[in-house]
Amino acid sequence: MTAARIWRWWQTPILLAALLMVTAGVGGVGGVAISRVATLTLISVVFVAGLSIFSGNSGIMSFGHVAFMAIGAYTTAYLTIPTGLKAALFSDLPGSLRFLAEVQTGFIPAVIISGVAATVLGAVTAPVVARLTGLQSGIATLALLIVVFNVLNSWTDVTRGSSSMIGIPQHTTLPLVLAIAVLAVVVAWAHRTSRSGLQLQASREDYWAATASGIAVGRHRAIAWFLSSFLCGVAGSLYAGFLATFNVRSFFLTATFAFVVMVVIGGYLSLSGAVIGSLAVSVLQEGLRRLQDVQIAGAALPAGVADLILSAILLVVLVKAPYGLLGVRELRLPRRAGRAGTAAPAQTPAPEKAKLEV
Amino acid sequence: MDFQFVVAMLGLGALYALLTIGVALLFGILGLMNFAYGEVTMAAGFAMYFFRDQPWPVAVGMAILIAVVVAVLSEKLAFKPLRNADPVTLMIASFAVSLALQSLARMTVLPRTEGVPPNEFLSRRISLLGAEVSMLDLLTVALCGTAMLALAVLLNRTTLGIQLRAAAENFQMARILGVKANLVVPSAFVITGGLAAIGAAVLVWRQGAVSAEMGLQPMLIAVISAVVGGMSSLRGAALGGFLLGAATSILEALLPTGLIAFRDAFLFTAVIAVLVVRPSGLLSGAKVRVS
Repeated sequence: MTAARIWRWWQTPILLAALLMVTAGVGGVGGVAISRVATLTLISVVFVAGLSIFSGNSGIMSFGHVAFMAIGAYTTAYLTIPTGLKAALFSDLPGSLRFLAEVQTGFIPAVIISGVAATVLGAVTAPVVARLTGLQSGIATLALLIVVFNVLNSWTDVTRGSSSMIGIPQHTTLPLVLAIAVLAVVVAWAHRTSRSGLQLQASREDYWAATASGIAVGRHRAIAWFLSSFLCGVAGSLYAGFLATFNVRSFFLTATFAFVVMVVIGGYLSLSGAVIGSLAVSVLQEGLRRLQDVQIAGAALPAGVADLILSAILLVVLVKAPYGLLGVRELRLPRRAGRAGTAAPAQTPAPEKAKLEV
Repeated sequence: MDFQFVVAMLGLGALYALLTIGVALLFGILGLMNFAYGEVTMAAGFAMYFFRDQPWPVAVGMAILIAVVVAVLSEKLAFKPLRNADPVTLMIASFAVSLALQSLARMTVLPRTEGVPPNEFLSRRISLLGAEVSMLDLLTVALCGTAMLALAVLLNRTTLGIQLRAAAENFQMARILGVKANLVVPSAFVITGGLAAIGAAVLVWRQGAVSAEMGLQPMLIAVISAVVGGMSSLRGAALGGFLLGAATSILEALLPTGLIAFRDAFLFTAVIAVLVVRPSGLLSGAKVRVS
């Protein structure tokens, strides 16, 4: 492999990693509040990289990935809360799950096991996802989110139900999140440029042509779903390890919507789009939050203005640039003249596609 | 099975059928799976709260008015520019509309849950065919039944209704044959607003409270039944809604108390199963516009 080829493969992940380092750097030099925002932003980058493995390559929007995040967060809680506290928190564990009160691992193993726990759910649901397209997939993934939420919210003996999970030791640090976020981006990129990823993208552009060319679309969808569930579980674990406390409500429609805004605004078909979208939206959210606290003429803006503006922005982006800011383009250094033609945004005329699939 | 249970079951079935038609109508015409439907219900619920001291027909009338206004406005501002977008884009857009309406409500009129005192007339019980039947259940059946009947007449006997059904079957073909999109689409939104309002009235009477989040439950119900019943056939949707309502009241009567909390998990697992086995819905024919 020549140096030029190596560079061609690595330039997008390197550029994205540089962006992430800038984010972490800003967080490192800024105060506590800035550092907190930077950490949460990088956690959302891990999540979005995971989501992008599935949605970006297959072209199918998922509303269910927050369920994986929830699994990751709960797993981390079981594994890292000190046993003494755990005995008090989960006094009513049913017999078969009694071991949860005794297990105890370090944070890094907990992160990995959380990812694995999420992939268990991913493996169970993969056959379903492999079969469905478009709107049906959207509804099925949403149904998955609701099922997981309902179970976490109602199984009070094991999950504490609607009361918050507390006492998770705070292990998520800025450098750790940065490292994992960079790793997540590289993994997502490696999948995207792999044989499986490319075949999945082919099915995104034209399902029937891909099938006719011998691509097992379902299998590649399942692989992507599996891989993305791992990263989203890791994101949930980092989230729990950073906030030290969380509530089941954090893993429902509001969070889903926030992540959907990120990937849609950036352009969910490309990895760079998803990552840049998550950075941009995180900055925007923080800005709006501060704006909301600013006193204007003696009266603070009512809570909810931030959500309102965010949804307005999402609508405008959907109307003006349905494939987001980047379309299918990836972040690259400008090339020399003559070869600068970047790929045009994917053309997937919906009505025709619909007709074909009836 | 006693008569009281049958009336309650019929009531819930009719309510769910009503809610489902609101989602199915828009889905048939625009390919829009409307998550903002819940927030239209919420707007109507707010009207019920605001006019809680008036006699109930006045409150319901105002609820219909407000819901129709909200539904039509959402079409004008958000869905009209996206008319040719694919269903998933529309679904994301409706998420945005839903969140916008919810935060608007929380900012202005409903920052917290408000109680709506139960109407004295509605909590009365009358004996009918040897059973004590609550006025609320009877009124639910009557209101939802009337609304469905009116809708059936509208869809089957008027020019607008024929155009609506044609558009729900094949929007492009209907437009080529002279059906005006700018007439059909807003009227569909008006109808969904009206249906949502009647559904909201019944829901508010049942729950006795309104809040900014109250739209979630009816929206989910409508989406599930639309999926189960077949997404672009209105009859299938109505039947799906009715079956779900009946199934819910039976489940609630039969499930052991420990499992009632997991009702939604059971229902949504069933939805996923239906999607896998019959992607176009249990009760629909072959003709579905889903991508």
